[in-house]
Amino acid sequence: MKMELSGTATVNATPQDLWDGLNDPAVLTKCIPGCKEMTATGPDEYDVKMQLKVAAVGGSFDGKVKLFDKDEPRTCRITVSGGGSLGTGEGTAQFTIAPAADGTSELSYEGEGEIGGLVAGVGQRVLKSVAKHLTKQFFTALRKHFAEENATA
Amino acid sequence: MNADTKPRFLSTDRRVREDKRFVAGSGRFVQDLDRPGMLHVALVAAQHPAAKIVKIDASEALAMEGVHYVIDGAELSAAVNPLMNGLDTPNVRRFPLAVGQNRYAGEWIAAVVADTRALAEDAAERVKVEVERLGFLTDAEKALDPESTPVHPEHGSNLLLDRTFDWGPVEDDFARSDETLKLRVTWGRNSTVPIETFGVICEWNPWDEVLDVWASIQMPKYADQIARALKLPGNAVRVHYDVDVGGSYGVKRGIKQTVLAGYLCRKLGRPVRLIEDRLENMRSGDAHGPERIFDIEVAFDRDGTVNAMKMRALDNAGAYAGRAPFQLGKPIGAIVGPYRINSVQYRAMSVTTNKAVQEAVRGFGQSPTNYAIETMMDRVAAHLGMDRLEFRQKNLIRSEEFPYLIPSGSTYDSGDYHAVIDKVLATADYAELQAERDRLRAEGLCAGIGIAACLEPSGGNSAFEPLLNEKNRTSTWMEGCRVNVDALGEVTVAIHTTSSGQGHETLAATVVGEVLQMDPDRIRVVRPDSLSSLPGNSPVGSRMAIMLGGAAANAARELIRQAVAIGAHLSRADPAACRYEDGTVVTPDGTVTWDEIVDVAHRRFHDLPPGTNPGLTANFIQQVPTGTALPKDGKVQMYPCYSFEFHLVLLAFDPVLAKPEIRRYVIGHDCGTVINPHIVKGMTLGGIAHGLGAALLEEFAYDGEGQLMTQSFLDYLMPSSHEMPEVEIVKHETPSPLTEFGQKGSGESGYLGAPAAISGAIHDAVSQWGIHLNKLPIRMSAISDAIAAAEENA
Repeated sequence: MKMELSGTATVNATPQDLWDGLNDPAVLTKCIPGCKEMTATGPDEYDVKMQLKVAAVGGSFDGKVKLFDKDEPRTCRITVSGGGSLGTGEGTAQFTIAPAADGTSELSYEGEGEIGGLVAGVGQRVLKSVAKHLTKQFFTALRKHFAEENATA
Repeated sequence: MNADTKPRFLSTDRRVREDKRFVAGSGRFVQDLDRPGMLHVALVAAQHPAAKIVKIDASEALAMEGVHYVIDGAELSAAVNPLMNGLDTPNVRRFPLAVGQNRYAGEWIAAVVADTRALAEDAAERVKVEVERLGFLTDAEKALDPESTPVHPEHGSNLLLDRTFDWGPVEDDFARSDETLKLRVTWGRNSTVPIETFGVICEWNPWDEVLDVWASIQMPKYADQIARALKLPGNAVRVHYDVDVGGSYGVKRGIKQTVLAGYLCRKLGRPVRLIEDRLENMRSGDAHGPERIFDIEVAFDRDGTVNAMKMRALDNAGAYAGRAPFQLGKPIGAIVGPYRINSVQYRAMSVTTNKAVQEAVRGFGQSPTNYAIETMMDRVAAHLGMDRLEFRQKNLIRSEEFPYLIPSGSTYDSGDYHAVIDKVLATADYAELQAERDRLRAEGLCAGIGIAACLEPSGGNSAFEPLLNEKNRTSTWMEGCRVNVDALGEVTVAIHTTSSGQGHETLAATVVGEVLQMDPDRIRVVRPDSLSSLPGNSPVGSRMAIMLGGAAANAARELIRQAVAIGAHLSRADPAACRYEDGTVVTPDGTVTWDEIVDVAHRRFHDLPPGTNPGLTANFIQQVPTGTALPKDGKVQMYPCYSFEFHLVLLAFDPVLAKPEIRRYVIGHDCGTVINPHIVKGMTLGGIAHGLGAALLEEFAYDGEGQLMTQSFLDYLMPSSHEMPEVEIVKHETPSPLTEFGQKGSGESGYLGAPAAISGAIHDAVSQWGIHLNKLPIRMSAISDAIAAAEENA
């Protein structure tokens, strides 16, 4: 099934810090829900291992992530593709970072993808809300990460 | 049966003997069986509708403790024969696991064997399958395009079957008719979804070299197919028929599952059990039903006489052929429904697509065809401005016209359609029902009455096989029964099949009790394994009342002949002057008791008539009445007996919400002589519930990416007690002249007309807008959207 996702979020970091964070596998591993491991396989290319639960089904997802069309620290595009017991997924998204008030940044994202396999068939009713929920979790974790960074800085 | 003797047990209010164990929760299903050392299987499913399998890496799964084996299609296909095709399509090869590429989302790519099912599932998640996506299609009309992506490139196209039959002077009848009308209706892909998914246990006994199989099966010639696929001699497969089956209604065919488990148990030297979970069952148990587009053109006169019909049925078989295309063949036996239609052109087309495989479903294609015919009747009546009921009554075959030969070569045995309809109209008080509909309409609701008249061909032979596949020379579809009297005088009947709710134990005991004039409760019914069985074809095609009933009655009659011979010999009387009565033999000089006859048969050879073997036992193998010849000129006698049903339904719904609520459901049902009224009633009620699902709720829906969107009960909507109305059944009995007691089949009753009737009622309810909802299921959203659109355009 096709899926579209877009939104904006404010993060308590400067555009440069946010950019660095989003390009750091360690930060991403910590913030992406269910992400177990992220290994760099080349410049801007990563293997990612995830363990997720969507609706009634849970399982693994192993994918490849690629960043491209980078314009530091403003925008980049990202593709994700992979599969696992949970199903398959592939998608492309564009991130745009803009400075906001008080040294924070506004991150807007817009992407579309295709979901297949188990999760598409079983979870389709809730997939959109699950995706939103996972996105929210990601930004909550990201904000927490920068809050900790700011506290130690 | 002698017409002037009243049956003692037949048609009487006797309990269904199987019910006791089921109600008490003491059935014995595959899940209840445990074999020492048994291993369990979970499946690795394909994610894409079509993809080339590049690499399967099972190393992580195999490294888990308790995991014994992972098998893929390459290994399996090298060791077993392809599964049987119904048509002559040798290049549409099918194995239990995908070979080289998969052809639908969910198809089994590999199987994991482990100590427990849970462990096998966990391990299956760790099997890594590397694939390259291929083109796919899900739409039957696209599949007709020669340029469409072939599901089986070796086959050359997606077309499995394209046969046109011309029965009678179709073009002449069209030319002479006052008017013609065209319509298209679509039967969505639904199925029967039994609570018990398919399950099988296979165990190889290396010392006897026998494969023991316990399965929740409803499949003709199951053991033969397993033996053939596994390259075993026929007598090396022993199917245990004493396993209860938790519902089937056609779909429990289980060949791929059994071949897989059978291979694994030999390979691993341990019993192997495969029980599908709900997802495996729904998306990849290969048990979806017909999905069919009907294009109809009908020719008729202004006085309301239907003269001729052209029907094209395009069926979406899914990814492999199997027996699915035959479901286009069976309805040929009742292609004109209960009507006098002088000539018919029928084009049967079946195509492959990247959807799950189709299997037999209750009625074997008859319910979709009945829906198409009945919708046609409604449309013609509306076109002519005639009352739907009067229009049908005018075209129905009349009772004095039986036996009635229809254009496609089948003769209907008997019926009194007008009488059944009159009874239903009287029971329902048709005028009052119409008044009630109008009252509901006055309240602002949409209310409609639906009617459907249709046939249930029964006594299943398989005449559609040679009709659609010339290499197939099958002209018998027999059923065997054995009746034995032991040395203590008790009677045991052996039946040679599993049952999936049809009550065959009750059937066999009732029939044998009737013939032997003996309380059926005294009669034991057993189910030997397949190696100890007479030939048979399992309960398909609404056949067992006729076929097992016939075999049991004839075996019991042979026992009576033996008893009379013994009694006559003891009395030095002419057997012709003696008769059997209440377990005794009445001779001109007195009576010989049952005990005496049993004693002679089992102990006193010296008192047996000369040339008689000891024992009291009889086998009978029943041939299907009629239908003994191969097809000729595209015509054949399909099933022998024709049950009739007439549905009358009133439903209502709010025009905005559009959730149909059935207010009244009356069905007139004539399946000839009823053997057990409770079984017939249960079949009819279950069939109506099933038909309600097909009409309004159930659909295996695929999205544009070839993914099945309805693979759990969250999305695949089943009718529940909330939707199921109280049903009034009006009985009528027109005996069949072809069967032992006048019985006909009832295994598909209710389902064969309910979708047509419910669809008709919805159309009546929205008639003010002239809306046509031409695809089943008619979801509430479709109704409310259509009404909203009509209002907007008004």
